[in-house]
Amino acid sequence: MAEQKKTLVVTRFDPDRDQTPTTREYEIPVEADWKVLDALNYIKAQVDPTLSHRWSCRMAVCGSCGMNVNGEPKLTCKQPLSAYGERVEVAPLANFPVIRDLVVEMDGFMERLKQVKPWIIEAKEEAKREGTNRQSHAELMDFKQFSMCINCMLCYAACPVVANEPDYLGPAALALGHRYNQDTRDHGGVERNQILRDDGGVFSCSYANECSEVCPKGVDPAGAIQQAKLNNVLDWAKRFVVPRRKPRAPTAAAQSDEPGRG
Amino acid sequence: MSTLRARLDAMRPSQAGPTRTADPRPPDHFPSRGNYRSYLMFGLGSSLMLLVSANLLRVVKSLGDGERAFDALLESFAHPLYLGFHLLAFVWLSWVALHFFALFPKTQPFRIGPFKRPPDALLVTGLRALFLLSTLLVTALLLGVL
Repeated sequence: MAEQKKTLVVTRFDPDRDQTPTTREYEIPVEADWKVLDALNYIKAQVDPTLSHRWSCRMAVCGSCGMNVNGEPKLTCKQPLSAYGERVEVAPLANFPVIRDLVVEMDGFMERLKQVKPWIIEAKEEAKREGTNRQSHAELMDFKQFSMCINCMLCYAACPVVANEPDYLGPAALALGHRYNQDTRDHGGVERNQILRDDGGVFSCSYANECSEVCPKGVDPAGAIQQAKLNNVLDWAKRFVVPRRKPRAPTAAAQSDEPGRG
Repeated sequence: MSTLRARLDAMRPSQAGPTRTADPRPPDHFPSRGNYRSYLMFGLGSSLMLLVSANLLRVVKSLGDGERAFDALLESFAHPLYLGFHLLAFVWLSWVALHFFALFPKTQPFRIGPFKRPPDALLVTGLRALFLLSTLLVTALLLGVL
C-alpha cells in the first residue's frame, strides 16, 4: 500500500521570541487509522521536538487535547485524520490566551468553573441528620447528561459570547451549575442561582447553540443554560407568591470555597 | 480564520501568569457558520421588529382616530414600499420562528411536574402548527374573510 502523506499546518508561538502566533507546515507520513493527535505526536517525536501541545488519556476522557482543527474545536484524540484532506490546520482553542504553540491558558476557565460552586452542598450534613441520601433513577436522569462534561473547553472556543463578554461564566461552568441545582442531594440551589442570574450568568447566553454542536460528550450545555434560565425566572417569580424560607446557615464546607466531601 | 477580533481579556485569569501570552482570537468560522449566522440574523432582526412595532402603534392610534383615519392608513399600506417591507418582515419572522422552534424543546426541563417532557418532535410540530394556524387566522382577518 502506498504511503499516504498529509501536511499539517500548525500554529506556533514562542512567548520569548514571537510577538504573534505564526504557522508552520509539516509534511508527514500518516497511517489510515490515525487521529489528529497521533499526527501531532509524530511531529513532536520525529520532526520537531519543540512543538508544545497538551494531551493525556488518548481516549476522549481527560479533555486535555482540545484544539481547533480546520477551524472547528475538536478533541484531537477522537478526531480521525482521515476526516480531512491533504492539508489539516491545527490551532490552539479560540477565545483563550495562548501560552505556547497549541497550549492555551486554562486558569481563567478554572476560576469560572469554581465560581458556580460545582460540588454538592450540605450532602454530608443531611446524611448525618436523615441517613443515607437516596436518589431515584428518574431523579438521576434529570441531570446525568450534564454531569458528563470533561472540561475540555471546546464549548468556550465555539461560543461567540465568550469572545465578547469577559465576565461571562461560559457554557461548561453554567451547565455544571445547573447540573448541581438539579441534583436532589444538593441544597445549594438558592446561593447558586444568585450566581447564575448575576452579570455574566445564564442571561448573558444568547443561545447560538454552537457549544452543544461541538461538545464531544453530548452534554448539551446550551440546553442546560436555557433550562437554568427558566428555573431562575420561576425562582424569581415565586418570591412574589410563596413566602421565602430563610436560607440555612451556611456550613463550614459551604462557607469555604473548596468542595466538601459530602 | 476569522478576521474579527475577540476581546483581548476574553478568558484571561484574574492574575496574569508567569509567561507572556498571545491574544485570544474569536471562533474561526464566525460569523459565516450556520449557527453564528442565525444568531446574528436574530440580533439584526430586532431592528425590523422595532419598525413592525411602530407600525402596530400607528394602527392602534388610527383606530382611536376614527374609521376614516383607519381606512386611510390601510390604503397607505398598499404602497409598494410598505408591501416590500411587510414581505421582508414576514419572511424574517417565519425564518426566526422555524429556527427557534427547533431549538425550543431542549429549553424545557426533562420533567414537567410529574410528567416527562413530551417528545421533541411533538413539541416542534405543535409549535409549527400553532404558527401556521395563527398566520392563517391573521391572513383571513386581513382579507376580511372572517
